[in-house]
Amino acid sequence: MIKILIVDDEKPICDLIHIHLSAAGYHCESVQDGLSAIDRIERENFDLILLDIMLPGADGFDIMEYIRPLQIPVIFITAKNDVRDKVRGLKLGAEDYLVKPFDMVELAARIEVVLRRFHKTESVLQAGDVTVDLEARKVTRAGQPVVLTNKEYGLLVLFIQNKNVALFKEKLYEKVWEDEYIADSRTLELHVQRLRRKMGWENNLVAVYKVGYRLEI
Amino acid sequence: MKFSFKILLCSIMIMAAAFGIGGYFFINYVFETSLDREIEQAMNESSILRFAFETAALNIPSKYAVLQDSTIREIGLNLENSGEGRLLRISDEDRVMVYESEGFAEGEELLSKIQEQTRAYQVIEQNGSYYIQTGTLLNAMDRILYLETMKDVTAVFEERAQGFSVYRRLTLIMLFSCSVAMFFISSWLTRPIRQLTRAAREMTRGDYSYRAEQISQDEMGQLTRDFNRMAGALEENIHKLEREVRAREDFIAAFSHELKTPLTAIIGYADLLRSRKLDEEQHFLSANYIYTEGKRLETMSLRLLDIIVTKRYELDARMFDAAVLFDYLRDMYAEREDIRLICEYQESRVRGEADLLKTVLLNLVDNAYKASEPGSRVEVHGERTGEGYLFSVRDYGAGIPQEEQEKITEAFYMVDKSRSRSRNGAELGLALCTEILKLHGSALQIESRVGEGSCFRFLLPWEEVKDSEQKAD
Repeated sequence: MIKILIVDDEKPICDLIHIHLSAAGYHCESVQDGLSAIDRIERENFDLILLDIMLPGADGFDIMEYIRPLQIPVIFITAKNDVRDKVRGLKLGAEDYLVKPFDMVELAARIEVVLRRFHKTESVLQAGDVTVDLEARKVTRAGQPVVLTNKEYGLLVLFIQNKNVALFKEKLYEKVWEDEYIADSRTLELHVQRLRRKMGWENNLVAVYKVGYRLEI
Repeated sequence: MKFSFKILLCSIMIMAAAFGIGGYFFINYVFETSLDREIEQAMNESSILRFAFETAALNIPSKYAVLQDSTIREIGLNLENSGEGRLLRISDEDRVMVYESEGFAEGEELLSKIQEQTRAYQVIEQNGSYYIQTGTLLNAMDRILYLETMKDVTAVFEERAQGFSVYRRLTLIMLFSCSVAMFFISSWLTRPIRQLTRAAREMTRGDYSYRAEQISQDEMGQLTRDFNRMAGALEENIHKLEREVRAREDFIAAFSHELKTPLTAIIGYADLLRSRKLDEEQHFLSANYIYTEGKRLETMSLRLLDIIVTKRYELDARMFDAAVLFDYLRDMYAEREDIRLICEYQESRVRGEADLLKTVLLNLVDNAYKASEPGSRVEVHGERTGEGYLFSVRDYGAGIPQEEQEKITEAFYMVDKSRSRSRNGAELGLALCTEILKLHGSALQIESRVGEGSCFRFLLPWEEVKDSEQKAD
């Protein structure tokens, strides 16, 4: 299981990330100050560290110095939206830099990318009899390859990564189409219907009233 | 035209006029004295000649009772030859020429002027030479004759011309050297002006720390001093403005940072609630976080509003008993068991707005508790002093490092840079206290040692502080 350390002095944020990542199948630990973060990093093995910059004890940049020799990927999460800080963080060897307030789906996606880059995560996603090979970009259903368009593939990956989570229409649209969602657009609905048929998920991919869709497996 | 050049030009003009007029009069004076001397000599000579003629006439053996014209000519020739360069003319009673030296001036102007007992003279020019012509009457053997002489005074006139030419050259040399000297003097005199110009330009270009060099102690020096003083005041004002702008920028940056953290939590948990099926515990946790973070935002915005309102507030100061404030504090903390508040104060009437001062004390006591371990002591003192009533709030908590003490009253500044959540927006408290105390003509004094605790003091003056005095600080 992937182990993630969350370092943020705000307990609500720690808990929030904790809940989300645990649901996505990661094992999470959280600490609220810099010195205990260094302690934990020295004693335990983590696959990824989410690091705030302004921390009591030792700040994020200081902690980064400890982490670097250990080769653990780090994503900075901070309220400081300052280009200099961003550059400094990335130069210190951080994999990514997220500015508060950020979206949890966004965080999950970034984590996914970083982990895959470090080959820490299975590049194969599984949902029922559907398998998605992220690296080969190959989708099979019960052993049989399925041909999907780009958008359908994007939707499929999002649904599998967020199993049993209601995904909002606007969020899906923004992620896959990378554009602002137009309320009356039927594009998304059509794509979801095609995906249902191709995957045989007529009963699994359910519409949530006034919200969006949820993959129930 | 440059000012130093104007000075130079004026002084050259004055010098030229002075040298010219002075020199002219001086040389003329010398010339006239020489000429007078020459005239006197000529007159003397004329007298001598008259005497010599009369003597010679007497010595002639008198063949005739009357002096013959030929004899006159003879004597005249003798007289002429007895002195070098002597020129003379002798005329008879009817002013008809009897004897005349060669080269004697023509014209009988002088001759007509000669009277008995008077001697006449005139200065004449003839063929480029100057002569003094004298005329006198002489008696010889019952004859009345007119004796005229001429004396060459060209040298005197030449001297004058030479004097003028030498003086002209001298004047030019003097003018030149004086101009050179004046050039340096005028540029030396105008140096402070150039310094000031340069300083003004540097300041226009944005270098407010540039100062004009003070060279003299005179009016220019005074001007330089005043200019530098003005520049100093300006620089200070600009720095003050810059500091204010920076403080405002810092404030906005800090404020947006302070906003972002609770917002992330609120948005995140709300999203969690709407998109997932949570168990009961998680559900409560999420709702609770949304509530507490929302409250935190509320506290923050209210405090901020307080500060902004206080900044524009007109103080309604009245006299009241200091005891009111301490009673209020006691009531506020009476039910808190984790807090030991000790109030000691001297009875007195103080001037101020009680509600605002309550806010100040409440904030200070609140901060004192936040800095201390639960259950530790916080002391509030009030005492009368010469200048006013002194309040102090002392805790025995963490203390504030020296370098942080100045910034602590800035909105959003916190000693612990992590901006730990436990403070719950209280960071605006001290900024609010500062604003309220400013209204009362007072200020917050902080005395603190890391590990030993802090003491916050402020003095409420007895008398209302005049506006002008406040501005003077």
